[in-house]
Amino acid sequence: MSDKTKPSFSKALFSGVLLDELVFPYPEMEAEEAEDLKMMQDTFKKFAEDNIDSEKIDENSKIPDEVLNSLKELGFMGLSVPEEYGGFGLSATAYTKMFELFGGVDPSLAITLGAHQSIGYKALVLYGNEAQKKKYLPKLSSGEMLAAYCLTEPGAGSDAAGIQTRAIRDDKNGVYILNGSKIWITNGGIADFFTVFAKEEIIDKNGEKKDKISAFLVTRDMGGVTSGKEENKLGLKGSSTTEVFFEDVKVPIENLLGERGKGFKIAMNVLNNGRLGLAGGSIGALKVLLKEALGHISQRKQFKKTLSEFEMIKEKVAQITIDLFATESMIYLTSGLVDSGEVDYSLESAMCKVRATEISWIGLNECLQMVGGLGFMKEYPYQRYLRDGRINMIFEGTNEILRMFTALAGIQERGQVLRKIGTALKEPIKGYGVLTDYAAEWIKGRISTERIQDVHKSLSTAKVQFETWAKNLHFSAERALMHNGKKIIYREMIQKRLADAATDLYAMIAVISRVDSLITKKGEEKAANEINMCTIFCDQAWRRVRRNLLMVDSNNDKGMSKLSDFIVEEKKYPFEA
Amino acid sequence: MNIAVCIKQTPDTETRIKLTEAKTVDESDINFILNPYDEFAVEEALKLREKFDGEVTVISLGPDRVNSAIRSALAMGADKAVRIKAENIPTDPNVTAGALATELQKGNYDLIFLGKQAIDDDHAQMPALLGAKLGIPAISVVVKLEVEGDKLTAEREIDGAHEIIECSLPAVIGAQRGLNEPRYASLKGIMKAKKIQINEIDAELSADQLQVVEFNYPPEKSPGKIVGDSADAVPELLRLLHEEAKVI
Repeated sequence: MSDKTKPSFSKALFSGVLLDELVFPYPEMEAEEAEDLKMMQDTFKKFAEDNIDSEKIDENSKIPDEVLNSLKELGFMGLSVPEEYGGFGLSATAYTKMFELFGGVDPSLAITLGAHQSIGYKALVLYGNEAQKKKYLPKLSSGEMLAAYCLTEPGAGSDAAGIQTRAIRDDKNGVYILNGSKIWITNGGIADFFTVFAKEEIIDKNGEKKDKISAFLVTRDMGGVTSGKEENKLGLKGSSTTEVFFEDVKVPIENLLGERGKGFKIAMNVLNNGRLGLAGGSIGALKVLLKEALGHISQRKQFKKTLSEFEMIKEKVAQITIDLFATESMIYLTSGLVDSGEVDYSLESAMCKVRATEISWIGLNECLQMVGGLGFMKEYPYQRYLRDGRINMIFEGTNEILRMFTALAGIQERGQVLRKIGTALKEPIKGYGVLTDYAAEWIKGRISTERIQDVHKSLSTAKVQFETWAKNLHFSAERALMHNGKKIIYREMIQKRLADAATDLYAMIAVISRVDSLITKKGEEKAANEINMCTIFCDQAWRRVRRNLLMVDSNNDKGMSKLSDFIVEEKKYPFEA
Repeated sequence: MNIAVCIKQTPDTETRIKLTEAKTVDESDINFILNPYDEFAVEEALKLREKFDGEVTVISLGPDRVNSAIRSALAMGADKAVRIKAENIPTDPNVTAGALATELQKGNYDLIFLGKQAIDDDHAQMPALLGAKLGIPAISVVVKLEVEGDKLTAEREIDGAHEIIECSLPAVIGAQRGLNEPRYASLKGIMKAKKIQINEIDAELSADQLQVVEFNYPPEKSPGKIVGDSADAVPELLRLLHEEAKVI
């Protein structure tokens, strides 16, 4: 984002610059906030233990009103509202940790709370003027009003710029007339407050009429706002998901949020913000299901051994643990960057969302596998966590779009050096709805570096692995640009490899930084498990990076594309054995 | 009504206790909480305050870490807090009772609440010790309480029955599960609690008359045995319960 003074670690990485000062030492929450957080977590844990029955919520496709009402009274609706507006002003780190807890207890509930505050009223917090904040935030914070974020439309999903909802400004009466419909709106059936993105006609500085997106604060009591029926979903059944219709809604002009025509930027920045909460929720769910599975595998015996004594089960337990540890390291490094207030984190939050939702999906599936047939039975929670976790790879930016964004935003800086390509790169990135106009100047003065600062000797192999493959990512990205020129924007299979390599490298540096800080604090002996995880993770990660980067240059992409085109043309699998 | 609640910080019930080589408890990885029975005590005090007005003061003894348990009680809604500073929480309940009694005497309290026991050392002596030291009635394992004027009626659990006791105020009440449903600390309460200054005082503790020699892990539980899964297994189960486990 342009208002940030420092670029992201990962963007610089693509340019061969290692901004290690951004990631060392590993961020730590202030003691006072850590104590507050623990008390808030305790309150939620106790409340959940006594009152939340996830099986029933799933079965009845509804979170009981009493549960939501109690959570409102306890204050869980105002986590990210600043204190002066009646909220609790949590830092990004504390907020993400709360969502990790929510996601573990009940994903339906987590998404209801998340849609309300990660995205529903977030635009108001970030872009609202004083009067707007004063009018709505206290009510949103107390839960008197529930919020929803209304961007997606039948014709505009990932391509969010294509929305059709229209706002017509009527200066005489001081209102906008809003018409259109939004689909798959979380909290759609229960919200009273909607952040709505709509197109309006704006006359630009050349005197030409143009359709641009603006953001509006709409409340149900304005009239003309209706909700469709509750969608029947695979998972997250307790959450409300409906279509929301706006029919000649008279929205007072003072409810325009931010500047006219700047709605798209608002929409995207809100999502950048929301992704960390979702990443936290995803790993929270996996942590809880792992605990459940561990209970089973240490009891159940076959061939006179507990399941936990079998090596293939050990591999699963260890892998889930390592992936959790590495992803958690990325997430809380990123939230620390957010809290430092001056770093562009759009790329990192996208990487966290992709990685967290995928290791969670794989891990949940492995938990089910570990417990065998029992995991397939409805009375156990495995199937529910899997169903609930599936959407995470789709919403708040599909993982495919976020990979394209990660790669293109990463190489954009180099693209600009190569002149024309830079302009070509900008378009799709904008279109993917993730912003990237960061302080490019910051990188320019830096010479590429090949070493990061010293770390504890037990992490030196991991450090060298990171440095070696960071350099190679830079070279591969350069080559990909040279070879493909402007066409790089269509080479999605290459983008995917670059994105995955960058994500692994970011995870490596996050783990190294975290464990290094831990050793400083606790000593090598007490950090033995963490050192072991760092060693294994970095070893696994550099091998993946190597494979991805080799395949940037040598691959079957043309053949794959050709085959896909053929099959799509045939409309079925056409071969016979 | 002027009410005191004596609380203790204890390890979380889910904590897996580790011992040091010197056979003492290794506190480094313990998650400490407010003793669960004390939550009933705090709740009852808050309810009486809501009914009769007044003030609830939380008192605890121990090292700095104890402040987080005090904050939990404040977050539930208590008004004031005192921490009697000590390097450790004494293992001899009599030492703690002495220090608490000295502090309680300063406060002119109408009622003194505490949990019937702490879940860590399970001595369950504190209500009686405090009553004796302060020279006022002490009733413990209380599941129901009514206060009217300067009299109270308490219902306590005894084996197979409930005993109903009357006495005059001031008195010490040991809370038992069932006395009430402790409220959750709201986020507002948590923020408010932060702003309350805990009054930390020095105290001279008497010498321990009890010494903990060492801690040991409980013997490992032997694994369960599944005798069968139908009614046919009942005779064998009965035989095993009788002859092997010797419980019937």
